[in-house]
Formats: sequence, structure tokens, C-alpha cells
Amino acid sequence: MSYIKDVRPETMMVEGNWAVGYYRYKAPRLLEEFVSGLKDKKLVGSLCLGCGKVIVPPRNICGRCHRRMEERRVVSDWGTITCFVYTPPVKRGKYVLFGLDAVEQGVFKEGEIVIPCFARFDGSDSNVATLLLNADVNKVQIGMRVKAVWAKELKGQLSDLEGVEPLEKQG
Amino acid sequence: MRNTAIIGCGQTKHSSRRRDVNVAELAAEAAEAALLDAGLSLKEVDAIVSGNMQGFGGVAQPELWLGDWIGAPGKPAIRIATGGTTGGSVGQGALYTVASGMYDVVLAVAWEKHSDSKEAGATTGLSHVAMANLFHAVNYGLSFKALIATIAVGAAAGVASYQARFYLHRSGCGIEHLDMVAAKARRNAAKNPYAHLQWPNCQPEDIAKTEMVAYPFRYGHICPASDGASAIVVAEEKTAKRLCKKPAWLLGLASYSDEENQLQSESYGGVGVIDPSEQMGCRLSAKKAYSMAGIIDPQKEIDLAEIYQPFPSQELIFSERLGLFDDGAAWRHMEKGETDINGRMPISVSGGVNATNAIGSSALQRILEAALQIMGKAGEHQVPKKVKKAIAHGWGGLTNYVTVTVLGDSPGS
Amino acid sequence: MAKRVAIIGYAQSHHQYDLQKTREDMVFDVVREAIKNAGIMREDLGTVITASTDFLDGRTISNVFLSMAVGAYLKDESKVEEDGTNALQYAMMKLLAGAYDVALVEAHTVGWQFNPHQVSAYTLDPLVDRQLGLLNDISAAALQARMYMEKYGVSEDHLAAVSVKNLSNAALNEFAHRRMKDVSAKKVLNSKMYYEPLRELMISPISDGCAVVILAGEDKAKKICQKPVWIEGVGNCQDGYLRDRNLFGLDSLKKAAAAAYKMAGIKQPLKQLDLAEVTERYAHEELMIYEALGLADKGKGKTLIEKGVTRRNGKFPVNPSGGALGADPVCATGLVRVVEAVRQIRREAGKHQVRGAKRALAHGQFGICAQKNTVLILGGE
Repeated sequence: MSYIKDVRPETMMVEGNWAVGYYRYKAPRLLEEFVSGLKDKKLVGSLCLGCGKVIVPPRNICGRCHRRMEERRVVSDWGTITCFVYTPPVKRGKYVLFGLDAVEQGVFKEGEIVIPCFARFDGSDSNVATLLLNADVNKVQIGMRVKAVWAKELKGQLSDLEGVEPLEKQG
Repeated sequence: MRNTAIIGCGQTKHSSRRRDVNVAELAAEAAEAALLDAGLSLKEVDAIVSGNMQGFGGVAQPELWLGDWIGAPGKPAIRIATGGTTGGSVGQGALYTVASGMYDVVLAVAWEKHSDSKEAGATTGLSHVAMANLFHAVNYGLSFKALIATIAVGAAAGVASYQARFYLHRSGCGIEHLDMVAAKARRNAAKNPYAHLQWPNCQPEDIAKTEMVAYPFRYGHICPASDGASAIVVAEEKTAKRLCKKPAWLLGLASYSDEENQLQSESYGGVGVIDPSEQMGCRLSAKKAYSMAGIIDPQKEIDLAEIYQPFPSQELIFSERLGLFDDGAAWRHMEKGETDINGRMPISVSGGVNATNAIGSSALQRILEAALQIMGKAGEHQVPKKVKKAIAHGWGGLTNYVTVTVLGDSPGS
Repeated sequence: MAKRVAIIGYAQSHHQYDLQKTREDMVFDVVREAIKNAGIMREDLGTVITASTDFLDGRTISNVFLSMAVGAYLKDESKVEEDGTNALQYAMMKLLAGAYDVALVEAHTVGWQFNPHQVSAYTLDPLVDRQLGLLNDISAAALQARMYMEKYGVSEDHLAAVSVKNLSNAALNEFAHRRMKDVSAKKVLNSKMYYEPLRELMISPISDGCAVVILAGEDKAKKICQKPVWIEGVGNCQDGYLRDRNLFGLDSLKKAAAAAYKMAGIKQPLKQLDLAEVTERYAHEELMIYEALGLADKGKGKTLIEKGVTRRNGKFPVNPSGGALGADPVCATGLVRVVEAVRQIRREAGKHQVRGAKRALAHGQFGICAQKNTVLILGGE
């Protein structure tokens, strides 16, 4: 019953491509509200009048209530770590993006431990994925209190919120 | 719902590069094997349900082209694709098709050929999910530092590492238990001729030697990207009883979805789910599937589970969400050996997704493996105990899709 | 287990090029309207099936950010990756199996994002056809048009007549994209040539759009809906690949129609049905569709358009809403045909209402040269 008659040990290869880069996307204006809030050291979230949840950064639609979240609330820039992971010590050549190396660009130091974390700012019901800075990985605990670290020069863009750091000084 | 059964299963050998076939022949290999196993010819098949993740192979709607290889011309055909749960949705599509009474014999085929894509590990397709978000966020000044932190955690791992962390924190489980689960998967896969990462006698120490990606995941924990396909033949009662000695009967199925969680949602919006290991969608799917199957106490009534676990933490998390163990207790039961092939609650004895991951077909493979165990055809990795009820689980999307299918050795109603 | 399934609510967007909304926004608005139209709440939904494709949406797992907008949060959800009529068939099967009693079916495409004609080139055989780079869905359709026209003596005037009929119907349809009140055969024959003989006004436009339909099992439908529209028959079939199939006729549509007619007990479609809403991406496809549906003999599709049988006020109106030539949001187009057929049966079709419409046929297709087809028979009793 087999209709595969001729089994070759290796097939021929032909190249193909797919114009991935030509897609255009629509995006809502919500992120503009968020980054203009960052310029004033404010974290803006959207409030759903149905379930009362505040989502930071703001979202358009509340799926639980199936309605638009049109209200805005500013939440505190103090919060709690709900989760964190950490990398082994950074090495030159390990993290390369668009041909740029993290250590050579001065983004991370050799031997530094990167701690991406989830922070839940007081007053909000969502996690913000950000970096835990100025912390000793052996002293970090889930549930630890943190506060936002703002860039020295606020430009009204996402990099204004550099990360969070523990309220109590650690290392 | 009329009585429906799986009467034939076929899969291909999975490896990181199947250089001997192109994608159409790969899918045909599985389809042919399933038909042979069921004892049917293509003429007797009423409809075809197929699916894969089209972005990964660079061919849009591949079933329009390779339909000729799997017998689609002249037949009703539906294409289903839902991310990681694609195979599960394809299997459920076929099961619903027959259970509804519209068609009597349906062939379900799911496949994935990762090696067709230039970048390794399905990066072309996966990055496409994030692409709009990425361009959008970069436009608003997302820093290079934040991007590096994202790739440090691993593009595919992403939320799964946070999910694992929540579980570890909540339940007292340690990273050594993740090593144990990963070793078990590779040991089991060695008994499965079709699996990808076969490592007979793999021990947790072997996994612990591998380099850490980002705590708590090591390189040894992470699933491979495989080329492979799987197929099942689903039939209604009369045909099933005529052709198959021990069909695997459908008892219940569901696929509830939750809020998407990619650290952020569409357009960098926040996500209302604090704990990604909560998996409410899985809880609800299991509840619905069990109520359809008449299962009241899953811990006692379920004999075997095929869980979709690209990361070992997920085997533990989902076994609790599916009701097989109490909350936070899965790692203790695993430690005692209860989830081994000869254990009380064997889980993913085929090696699971941790050892073989052809994304489009892996969730269908879970249904297929559960069916094989009920039919007694699993060969070397057949569990020694009698399998009366088995569940097959699929997970995917951005941690928001789940499929749960309950199969049994006798028709429900 | 339900014996029959009915449509109890529907909604569609105002199709146009560049709706100025995000995908999720567009879908949210249409879903809200459909739920209101059906007179239910989101909590009443049992299962949701969506239809969209990754390549057209530009996103792997195209429905992954859609669950919240489409009302599927913590509900059973699945997706079909082709035309909306297939999603409707799948939802119907879930209801017939008795697993749920209310289903929501949604289909959408944002044509503005990435040219759907470019995407269709990616559906071709990657080993030969894509390497040669000569074919896309318009050039393949043009080849098919020329083959059909030469074999059966059909001329460009017949094609223009189909365009004029559909585009002037679309002018009366407030949801359509291309609404040209003063369209004429001369305008059609002078429009820009794409691939000989197909000109711009003989090809469907690139639209953004969304359509939603709400289904219910028999008992539930009778309880909560004043005007349920019953799905009496459904058929689905896929043809062989482009180079391996008969291009002089739409064989898979013939098989799909035969299955649907059998289920609905229809032996003489012209007499037993009142109208048809079909998906004709190219003007010549409508003539081939007449033949495949059994409305005309092989090669005689042109006589129906010559005699005006399929005009809006003719004996058997086809596409009184304007069809795909009026609006073509790729994955949603078939579902829009279903919505339009339901409007006709419920007497809610506004200016393009056909009098006395009781039973209608709706058709959706997908793939180059209509490779896959789905046919639905909808009735009012």
C-alpha cells in the first residue's frame, strides 16, 4: 500500500523566503499614555469599572467583564517582588543581539548576575516584568519590598523605568 | 455525543533533522502508518483534519499543497492550528467530527518540520509572535538592556521559567526535582522508538551537570526542536468494533483558554494573571472533561496521564492542575517513583514533550500515546498495569491554551 | 445531543480598507454587537471558534491575543485556520455532539496589514512553483478564466456583467466596501488590467473586516430566539493541488454542494432555494459556481447572467449583497455570506432585501482558484 516508492538517504534542498519584514501593525495609543506618565515618574494603569482591576501598563479590553477599560489610575512606584529568576554570571560573548555584545556595550559587567523579575506595584493587579537592580542575589526573597528606579534623565520612553531596587540596601 | 473511538495510530521517527523526507512525505509517513494500524484504506476515510504551525515551515496553508499526500483531494478537510496545542486541537477536531454524527471515519494528521526553517529552534516562527510587540516597544524606547535580559532568560522559556519559580516557591520543590523529571523523560524516551532525545539510564546527576540558563532552568531541562508527524484514525462505534480489538474510546474533552501571558500582552499591555502556574484554563478544561467522562475522583480513577511538558516543572504543575495530585504535592509523589512506568500514576511514559517536540504534532502525540496505552500497543514503554482511563493534555499559546482529552477502554454511555 | 442547529444572532463590521482600528478593537465591537443581537450575555456562551490565518495576521498563533476580545476568557475555545464557514461547520459539530448548547463563531482578516495576494503566493508548492515565482492567486485565476472562456465561449462581456450586477448590489449594502452606484460594463472593461483577462473591477478588493455568528442547539434556540435560522445542510470538500486538478470546473464545490443538498433534501436547487450568497473572488468564478451548484449545466453558466436570472430582482438572485466583489475580508468573507443570507431570511436585509426569501444557500471558499469550498443551506422554519 506504500506510495512512497523511492526513499533517498538525503533529500535535495531548495531555498525559499518569506517577506516577514513587510507586515504593518496597528497599535493602540495606550502606550503613549504610559510613557508620558513615566516622564513624570508616574506609573499609569487602566481600571476596569466592571471588576475593579487595575492593569499596568494600561490595556484596552477587560476579558473578564468583556468591556473596555476606559478609566486610568496612577499606581504607587513602591511594590513587591512576586517572582524572580537569575542568570549565571555574565560572560563576554554570551549575550549578543543584533551583533552587539552586552558586555562590550557596557550594558552588563563581566561577572554580574542579571535578575529579571516580576514586580507588582501597590494599587495594581498585574505584574510588570522588569529588572531587579542593586541587589544581592543571595538576599533576594519573593515578597520583598522594592521601589522603582528611574533614569537620571527622563525622556518619556520605556527606558525611563530602569528597574526596581530593594527598599533595604543590599550589597 | 455518540460513541467514538481511536482505532489507529501512526507516528514518524522524530529527530532534529529528518533529511530523508520533505515535509509532505513526513506527514504522509505518519498518515500511512495510522491507516495501516487501523486496517483501513484511504477510500474508507470520510474526512481529514490537519494542522501544523505554518510560520515554522514558511509555507502558508500547507495542507493545500500537501493535501495530495495525505489523501485530502475530494474529501472534506479542515485545518486547525492553535499554537502549542495544535495537535491537541486537531485531535479534538477529529473526535468532535465523528462524535457529532456528521462523518463516520476521520483521519487527523499533525506535523512539524523545524529543520525547514533557517534559524534553529523554531525561532523564525516564535519570534513572529513577539514581533509586533517588539517593534512597538522599541519605538517607545525599550532599552537594549531590557532586550538582553529577555534573551538571557531564553526566548522560548520566557514565562515558563517564571512559572517554574512560582511553583518552586509555593510548593517547596527544589531544582533537583526538575533534574529528576528531566532524567525520567529521557530514560522513558529510550524505550520509545519514535522519540527524539533517547538517553537510556539517564540520571538526575547527568542533567545537573549541564549549564544553567537562568535559575531554575538548565540546558538539560529544555525540550528539543524535532522534525516529526503523528496521525490518528477516529471512527464511530460500528466501524471501531469491526476493525479494532481494543479501541480507545472517547470519554470527555475540553479546551478552555485563559488570559495570554507573554510577560506583557498585546501592545505591551499588562496581564491580570499574577501567578502563571495557576493555569485556570487547565483546571476548567479538566473539570469539564471529567464531568463529561463521569470521573469524580481523578486521583483514584485515572490510570495514566500523558502531560505536555516542554519543561520539567510543567509536568509537576499540570499534574496538580489536572487533579492527579493535591496542590503542591506532585514533587513528593514523583520523588517516591509514583510517576515512573511501573508506578501508581505513570506520567508521560513515552518521554513526553521534554524528549520529543515537533510543536505542531506534540499535543496530538499525547492523545496518540494515551490511546496506545489503552490499546496495549505501546511496546517497550507499555505500562504493566491495566489502563482503564487515561488522559492526554496539551498546552500552548502564550501559556493560555490547554486541551484535555479523556480516553477509556470502554465507551462511556 | 442536538438534532438541529440554528443561527440566533449575527453581526458584521463595515468593511473597508484600513479600518483605523486594531484587530482586537474591531473584533471586540462586532462580538459585542452579535451578542446583543442574539439577546444573550457573554456568560451564556459555551464555546468559541475563531477563524484567521497566521500568515495574513502577521502573527504566529494568530488568535492568541484575541481570546479576551472575542469573549473566550475562561471558555472553551478553538480555532480554524481558513474560511469562517469552516469555523461555523466545526462549531456546528460541537453543538451536534451535545458538548455545549451555544457557540460563537468569529472570522476576521485585516487586509491592510499585508497584501493577501502576496500571502497566496506563499501557499504554492515551495519546491517548484515558488521557485519559479510566476504564479499568485490572481495570475492563476486569470489562467483559469482564460481556460474556461475559451472552452465554453464565454467573453469579457459576461465577466463584466457579473461585476456590474454585484457592484451595483453592493452599492445598496451599507456594510460593503466597494459601493459604486454608477458602475457600468464600460467602467469595468476600462479598469486597470492585472493579468489578462482579469481587470481591477473583476477582482475582489482587499478589505479589513470581521463577521460573527452565534449558534444554538435546537432546544436552546427555540427557547431564546424569536427568529432562529436553521442550518439544514452543510458540505465541505477540498480539491487537489493547483497543478493536479481540473480547472475547467469547480469539482470540490460540486461535491460540497451535493453533500449539503443531500442533508437538506434538495434535489432541484433553482426551485427549492430562493437565493444564494456565494464567494466569488473573481468575476468568472461566479459563472463556474453556477454550474457547480447545479443552477446551470456544464458550460452554460453564462446563460444565467445573459438572461438576468441571477439579478437582485431576477428569478434566482445570486449575491444580492454584492458578494466578495463588494467586500473581501479574506477569512471572514464566507461568514459574511452566511450573515447576509440570514439577513435575507429574517427580513433584515435593508435596501437589498429579496422578497419572499425563505431558504438560502451560503458558500465560502479558500485557496487559489477556490481549492476548498464549504456550502451551507439555511432555512427559516
